[in-house]
Amino acid sequence: MTTQQILSNVFCSFVGTVGFAIMYNVPKKYYIGCGLTGMAGWLMYLIVDAQNYMTSSVASFFGAFVVVLMSRILSVRMKCPITIFLISGIFPLVPGLGIYNTVYYIVTNQLTQAALKGIESLKIAFAIVMGIVIVVSIPRDVFHKIYYWYVEGKD
Amino acid sequence: MDIGKEKDAKQNETESFTPSESNVKQVVDFALEAGRILLKNGGEIFRVEETITRICQHFGVEHVDIFTLSHGIFVSAENEEGDVYTRVKHIPLSGAHLGIVAEVNELSRQISENKVTISEAKEQLKKIDQTPPSRARTQVLGAGMGAACFGFLMGATLTESIVTFFIGCFVYLWVILAKHCHLSKIIINIIGGILITLCAIFANHFSTADAVLRLDGMIIGGIMPLVPGMAFTNAIRDVADSDFLSGTVRMMDALMVFVYIAVGVGIVLITYSNMTGGFIL
Repeated sequence: MTTQQILSNVFCSFVGTVGFAIMYNVPKKYYIGCGLTGMAGWLMYLIVDAQNYMTSSVASFFGAFVVVLMSRILSVRMKCPITIFLISGIFPLVPGLGIYNTVYYIVTNQLTQAALKGIESLKIAFAIVMGIVIVVSIPRDVFHKIYYWYVEGKD
Repeated sequence: MDIGKEKDAKQNETESFTPSESNVKQVVDFALEAGRILLKNGGEIFRVEETITRICQHFGVEHVDIFTLSHGIFVSAENEEGDVYTRVKHIPLSGAHLGIVAEVNELSRQISENKVTISEAKEQLKKIDQTPPSRARTQVLGAGMGAACFGFLMGATLTESIVTFFIGCFVYLWVILAKHCHLSKIIINIIGGILITLCAIFANHFSTADAVLRLDGMIIGGIMPLVPGMAFTNAIRDVADSDFLSGTVRMMDALMVFVYIAVGVGIVLITYSNMTGGFIL
């Protein structure tokens, strides 16, 4: 990957996530957090996806994992509901391409391809579900303790 | 008040409360209102239940049972004398305003830190409920930005992304207009899908030899503002908290929206491909 590609991916995932944060009426002070969350998730997705022994659903799993981890840390730090970062941050990982391709192949009557793409999008959706469920199940106190321990250690 | 009359009043659930009962009533009503605002604007079931419990217990209503669905809250509270007060609230599935969720959360934090009294909290809640959404112009631009950027991430070229920006803006304009006219979700999303594909096909006709505007990049970017990200994420979070009933309802909501968008895009693509003899697609 060239530097230009990396930069454009970083920029687009950041700005795109902020765009959706605006759409969902997120208060202005959380925009940067939302952008960072979306960006981190998308970069993780790209890194895992670039390994040729990984499928895109595994990559989505790790992307979602990073998104949720980051939104939990940010929600402790900025004292606000996790939903704010989670909903906008998960957007880059939503399998829009897979859904479009499924419809496209159904319309053009290539049903085998449609089934392939449809199952792949389902797999991606399920991977995102797994990523979210695993991190959400970590008790809240763990994050609070780690964060305050970190803050006290820094002073 | 004699015993027979009180029993009668309880059976009919009419208004006849002793002071402690009216206190319970006031607290439960307030907590329920906070829960309603949270659920309406996209809070999770877990957060709604936690907020109601926190408010009730802080204001001295110890025994409170809550049953929350994706579109309804049932609260039942009991005072020391064993009198029960119950409320049911129906909350239709509707749009998202995450700013309000954040503010109600802040209010409930303040309440548990003992910073506000119940009457102050009530006033604040009323103010929060009336927070207007961001201006339509800002939202439309945000949708355009999101559409263009995600189109680019999914492999569209720069020119296609710029076109996608306008498609995204246009689609969200339609969504806002349709919501203003209280059109149903089915209509909004099917027509949204149709509009996106029509715009993309229209733009495709302007492609020159060195800058071909492919359909797929523009359509994928364009459908992003319609994608029900909030319903999907909330559904997953509800399932993760073992609220399977609400999780299923919300997941169904999200899946149906996906289907509607796909139908809208599909209708236009199939018509177009038949019109052109199937060789352009």
